[in-house]
Amino acid sequence: MSTPSEPPSPPPSLEDSKHTTEALNNSFQDYRANSLWRLMLRRILRQRSAIVGGIILGMLILVAVFAPVLAPYDPEQVLIGVEPVRKRQSPCIHLLGCPADQPQHWMGIDGNVRDQLSRVIYGTRVSLFIGFTTIGFAIILGTILGAVSGYAGGWVDNVIMRLMDVLMAFPSLLLAIAIVNVLGRGLQNALLAIAIVNVPIYARVVRASVLSIKEQDFVEASRALGANPFRILFVRILPNALSPLIVSGTLGIAGAILEAAALSFLGLGAQPPTPEWGSMLGSERNQVFTAPHLVFYPGIAIMITVLAFNLLGDGLRDALDPRLSFNKPEQTL
Amino acid sequence: MKRKSLFFVVMSLFTLLSLGLSACQTPAPIVAPPAAQPTATTPPKAAFVPTSVSAPNCDYGGKIKEIAAVDELTVRFSLCKPDPAFMPKIAFNPFNIQPKEWIEKNGGGGELLSKPIGTGPYKLESWNRGDSIIMKRNDAYWGDKAIAETLVFRWATEGAARLLELQSGTVDYITFISPDDYEKVESDPNLQLLHAEIPNILYVGMTNTFEPFDNVKVRQAIAMGIDRKRIVDHFYPEGSEVASHFTPCTIPNGCDGDPWYDFDAAKAKALLAEAGFPDGFKTKIFYRDVFRAYLPEPGLVAVEVQTQLKQNLGIDVEVVVMESGEFLDESNEGRLDGLYLLGWGADYPHVTNFLDFHFGKDNKQFGNTHPAIYQALERGAQIGDPAQAVAVYAEANNAIRELVPMVPIVHGASANAALKTLVGAHIPPFRSPKFSIMDPGKDTIVFMQNAEPISLFCADETDGESLAACEQILEPLFDYAKDSGEVIPALATSCEPNADLTEWVCKLRAGVKFHDGSDFDANDVIASWAAGIDAANPNHKGNTGAFEYYSYLWDGLMNADE
Repeated sequence: MSTPSEPPSPPPSLEDSKHTTEALNNSFQDYRANSLWRLMLRRILRQRSAIVGGIILGMLILVAVFAPVLAPYDPEQVLIGVEPVRKRQSPCIHLLGCPADQPQHWMGIDGNVRDQLSRVIYGTRVSLFIGFTTIGFAIILGTILGAVSGYAGGWVDNVIMRLMDVLMAFPSLLLAIAIVNVLGRGLQNALLAIAIVNVPIYARVVRASVLSIKEQDFVEASRALGANPFRILFVRILPNALSPLIVSGTLGIAGAILEAAALSFLGLGAQPPTPEWGSMLGSERNQVFTAPHLVFYPGIAIMITVLAFNLLGDGLRDALDPRLSFNKPEQTL
Repeated sequence: MKRKSLFFVVMSLFTLLSLGLSACQTPAPIVAPPAAQPTATTPPKAAFVPTSVSAPNCDYGGKIKEIAAVDELTVRFSLCKPDPAFMPKIAFNPFNIQPKEWIEKNGGGGELLSKPIGTGPYKLESWNRGDSIIMKRNDAYWGDKAIAETLVFRWATEGAARLLELQSGTVDYITFISPDDYEKVESDPNLQLLHAEIPNILYVGMTNTFEPFDNVKVRQAIAMGIDRKRIVDHFYPEGSEVASHFTPCTIPNGCDGDPWYDFDAAKAKALLAEAGFPDGFKTKIFYRDVFRAYLPEPGLVAVEVQTQLKQNLGIDVEVVVMESGEFLDESNEGRLDGLYLLGWGADYPHVTNFLDFHFGKDNKQFGNTHPAIYQALERGAQIGDPAQAVAVYAEANNAIRELVPMVPIVHGASANAALKTLVGAHIPPFRSPKFSIMDPGKDTIVFMQNAEPISLFCADETDGESLAACEQILEPLFDYAKDSGEVIPALATSCEPNADLTEWVCKLRAGVKFHDGSDFDANDVIASWAAGIDAANPNHKGNTGAFEYYSYLWDGLMNADE
């Protein structure tokens, strides 16, 4: 039995081919507009760790934004004479059997008779602010230095990269401590110190990307069409070097938060009465046995935040690094 | 060829074995000279030749003109000016006595720093740096022999670590319990909490050479604007007292005059407005993060003062923690341009130890000194009888209240802890615990303090940790009673002054032997004092060479270069 064959389609008319070209053009435009981000988003959504990290980070951002609504007290309010509480009082949660006539403090009272929960909540603001601003500053400066270094080459490259090598030769925390000691203690100077010690990381990442991209055909084409070096660098090359920067930036925020907490722990970063997790840990470090809640909660908060950024960073790396996606089977939820 | 190989194998094995053996060997501890050894070789004693140490005149500003051995068991102290606190001062441990020969042999330094030879109830056995100091009972002690045969000094910086050791029974006695641990110690059936009554004061200092503290109204506003009771109630252990005067009332003449201002935020605010600061101003509060009985939680108190000044007076205070040494230097020199938290623990039981040191004519700590205060103190220092000095010290204390060089906050209570089995455990108000009278019910007492001694040549040390170790081994001419500041005889049996208190003749105890077996006599007293107070003496070397207690308690070192 033979199947009836379809009649041969007539050759396309001129009008038809016009429509086809238009449709193709439109879909190409759509593709150009959406596909890169969609592809990226799709890949990210396939990374379990990125999703978990993203959710935790989203919650932390919400806590930071809505801190005045969520926190039951002003983080700097001393409760002496306001409530019948004493310093370093253990957590009191009515649901868990704490007498109803006692004021409820979920994370207890700190050494200066302030509500610990409110301080931990406001601490989220400080830590996220530290993470984003320091790494934002480091990325901007590192990108400019790395891009100029990689694109210009020669002695400019040599001078900039040797300077970066010198900065990288010091352990980052020690260098940050040294910078804070020169500039003076305080949150602002700690931010600056952490940003400075992170600049070389991004300068190197960007330089490596620029070196590989600047030899590619589309860059050569732009150059041949007479585009100026500034346009080539910032319009053609840098957008293509974003992926590794995003990944290392996300991971870098975790490191920056830890470094800021370490500086504050040592008394060099945030100063009292600012509610910063590292300084909260540092001021109560001797109470680890007598009032463990005062070191436990800030410690947990630091851990969760750093974990969120690390998970997100790992997921982003897996999603955005083409080498990894070709070699590894994609994870699915 | 085979022989050569065999030789190399044997040599390699030998080398490895030697390396292994040397690695296994424990480092040799510093061992004090055995007590009995020198006596066997000591030549027959030569005739006593009295020595002395003196300044050419009293122009150097110090108190001591001459110290001379009159005979083998008599020493005479000649003073440039009367000193009613002479007896309590010479009972202070930095003025301890070591053998003249031992001081001269070491040139005032060297092994003196690590191998003291004293007359105390314990003698040094070994000092294992970074780990412990071991002392053995001095069986030739002139007084009651120590009950425990061995005394071990250990140290741990963290209070929690000390308490853990005590709870586990590896130590018998620990210092400085955190106020938050009092309950834990008291509820433990194996432990005893030992409350200390050590006279001390915490104050908020101000330097009047910096604005706005040059304005007395600003200083008075701060004095009235700090709720000191709130600080004491919430940040100090039971037994602490709001300071009514700079000097604790347990010291004679300490509380003469009017008590300090009551807390009055409205009046303080009005005063600040009168001074030209109706909305407050910006300043700093400096402190060091070091545990002291007068300041058990420095960070908390600094933040509390910060909070109160903002709340009550609108003053924005930045809290600045400084390294301890730098903080002391800067505050002593009057270079801190804000407020600062500092305190004082009594060295000897006399009002001059508190007032003269802080408010004397030459003290730059609070900026320019006030004649109204120091002139009264100078008059008070001429009077031996406390009852006769009441009016003068009332005048001095009232001037301090009026001029407010600082704000006295609290006389802090503190506590040590010990195993219940340690019978006789105590904290004397002055000096360190006397372990010789404690009975652990076993051969050894293990004591844990918060730091390792710097050296055991305490004539040139000021830290309590060094002094605590020295006090078991070395003795001055007098001592303080266990439960009070009463001066009791030690190496001297008596000291008699002349009518105007400018000459003191001290009779020494006969038959006392040093730990090396040598006899104690007046020349040992001269040599020990000369090493400390005479800057031109060849043995005036010590650890840092500062001899701070000699310098500040006797108003300077004699024969020092200008």
